[in-house]
Amino acid sequence: MAEAVFFYLFTGAMLAAAWSVVFNRQPLYSVLSLLVVMFCLAALFVMLQAYFVAALQVLLYAGAVLVLFLFVIMLLNLAPEALARMRVFTWQGGGALLGLWLAFLLARIFAASAQDEGALSAASAPRGSVEAVGQLLFEKYLIPFELTSFIILAAIIGAVTLGKREVPAKR
Amino acid sequence: MPWGLLAPELGLCLWILVMLLADLAPATRKPQLSWLALGGIGFTAVLLAWQQPLWARGESFQSMLAVTHFSGLYKCFFTATAAVVVIMTRQFQRHLPAHLGAFYMLLFTALLGTFVLASMRDLLMLFLGLELLTFSLYIMAAYLKAEAKSIEAGMKYLILGSVSSGFLVYGIALLYGFAGGTSFTQVQNAFTYALTVPATAYAGMVLVLAGLGFKIAASPFNLWVPDVYEGAPTPVVALLSVGSKMAGAMALLQLLTGIFAPIAAFWMPLLAALSVATLLYGNLGALAQTNIKRLLGYSSIGHAGYLLMGLSTGSVAGAEAVTYYLLAYLFSTLAVFLVVIAASDAVGGDALEDYRGLSQRSGFLAAVMFLGLLSLAGVPPLAGFVGKLLVLLATVESGRLWLVAVGAVNVAIALYYYLLIVKRMYLDAPRQTQPIAVPAATRVTLYVLVLGILVVGIWQAPFLRWISAIR
Repeated sequence: MAEAVFFYLFTGAMLAAAWSVVFNRQPLYSVLSLLVVMFCLAALFVMLQAYFVAALQVLLYAGAVLVLFLFVIMLLNLAPEALARMRVFTWQGGGALLGLWLAFLLARIFAASAQDEGALSAASAPRGSVEAVGQLLFEKYLIPFELTSFIILAAIIGAVTLGKREVPAKR
Repeated sequence: MPWGLLAPELGLCLWILVMLLADLAPATRKPQLSWLALGGIGFTAVLLAWQQPLWARGESFQSMLAVTHFSGLYKCFFTATAAVVVIMTRQFQRHLPAHLGAFYMLLFTALLGTFVLASMRDLLMLFLGLELLTFSLYIMAAYLKAEAKSIEAGMKYLILGSVSSGFLVYGIALLYGFAGGTSFTQVQNAFTYALTVPATAYAGMVLVLAGLGFKIAASPFNLWVPDVYEGAPTPVVALLSVGSKMAGAMALLQLLTGIFAPIAAFWMPLLAALSVATLLYGNLGALAQTNIKRLLGYSSIGHAGYLLMGLSTGSVAGAEAVTYYLLAYLFSTLAVFLVVIAASDAVGGDALEDYRGLSQRSGFLAAVMFLGLLSLAGVPPLAGFVGKLLVLLATVESGRLWLVAVGAVNVAIALYYYLLIVKRMYLDAPRQTQPIAVPAATRVTLYVLVLGILVVGIWQAPFLRWISAIR
């Protein structure tokens, strides 16, 4: 019972926040609404007992990605008239099509899982824990994991070298 | 765990950190970074040689990476390319901003990416290896921060490269959905034993091919080539032209003769068609160029066409021909680019007109350029001729004679625009006659490359034996 209450609470909040992401005229408010969406999503993961995924959701999306979004929006510093010119509904046709496609895919997944009872729960049950993720990351996917760190290293060094202001060389 | 299998990769990882730290040394006690980088490449070569007895066993590491003759051979190619790029950077240094440690570090991360691609046994490694290689190249292409053209080159390469990576990942995801795993054995088994291969699996294959087509600059994924080649620093262009193309062709070779072999009937005509489009786009586009870097960019598209032609045969002979072609291409292209770097300051730019009368200012540079261009055009007895001959022979065997005809016509077109450069160098009068000084390191490297062009062209037997040990 309590579970159902919390589920509807978080889902309701998430939908309301998502609505505000799309229809808010101020990009800054949109991003802040997106933050609420991410937190509610993390709460849903907690209810599914995927605590690790929930923590990652907060750390990565709420913590890192959205801060980046905020930075970009503040950097662009759009003037009110530029914001007024941006029409939210320009993309509604494409958005509606994508939404229909998503609904179609979800319907197919649910239809398939209805035939094969328990396929969804079996596929998702034990994988969300820290232990399971750690096992995969440091045993089966050890090499890809370490290589990724080198890609990130290259990207960091690149960002620093390209972004740095060049001091005139002393000769 | 058999860590010896990973020795060259671990050596590279170590040297990435060494280059990074060396850059932090105080200016008075700073080591000569180019020699340090060459030392790292030598170190990697020693580790490769030490590992050589393991190649024949073909062991794999956690089913992610495998050490085979094929991977060993290509790792040697990549190491040689990186060594020449270091010499090029040394010659080009004056134009680059002060902190070169990061530049050499990115060269090593790119090399690590190619090593991963050479050994890959999993679609994940394909993605990570390519990303490691191209991330490094995005940054290196934009390294001349003060020049708008270099920034433009980096930006265009980054945007189009990201899109192509997106294609690749989507393709990998579709293949994962089809096979239930990303390891090559799983995917290949799925293709072999599937009663009917679903359309999504074909789509996945086409998307993966598109992602790799970007890397080798195959039509229609080659729109970035001319601008990036013109704007990026010339050593980076050489790395793009040889390293990146070789990595893409090698990855295609592994995938097409490996996991996609069961559906060869589907991709063979596809690659043949792409080959024709690429050949014509590259060689006809090159005719109108007035900048030598742009011209070499278009001609490198043309070479991608021959590589695709060899790949489209799907036979062992085709695979060997592609490898030989890449070996010849490596020596010839690097020689030409090194001459471009050595001459560009003295002749005052990269326009074709600047090369007027080069032979009177430096007979040596003009002669090396002459040999390199003729080898690229495929004139006997140089290396490029043997590569083209093997590719065309393999295509004749596969029965696509119309494709051979297109290839032969393109040899003539390419010869025309290569000879136009030669005419400028030898017959036209120079604007000034002051001789061009060539530093010792550059001169020695040029001798080695010319020797390579001649030996690979004339004395093919040992190289053919070496390459046929792949399988």
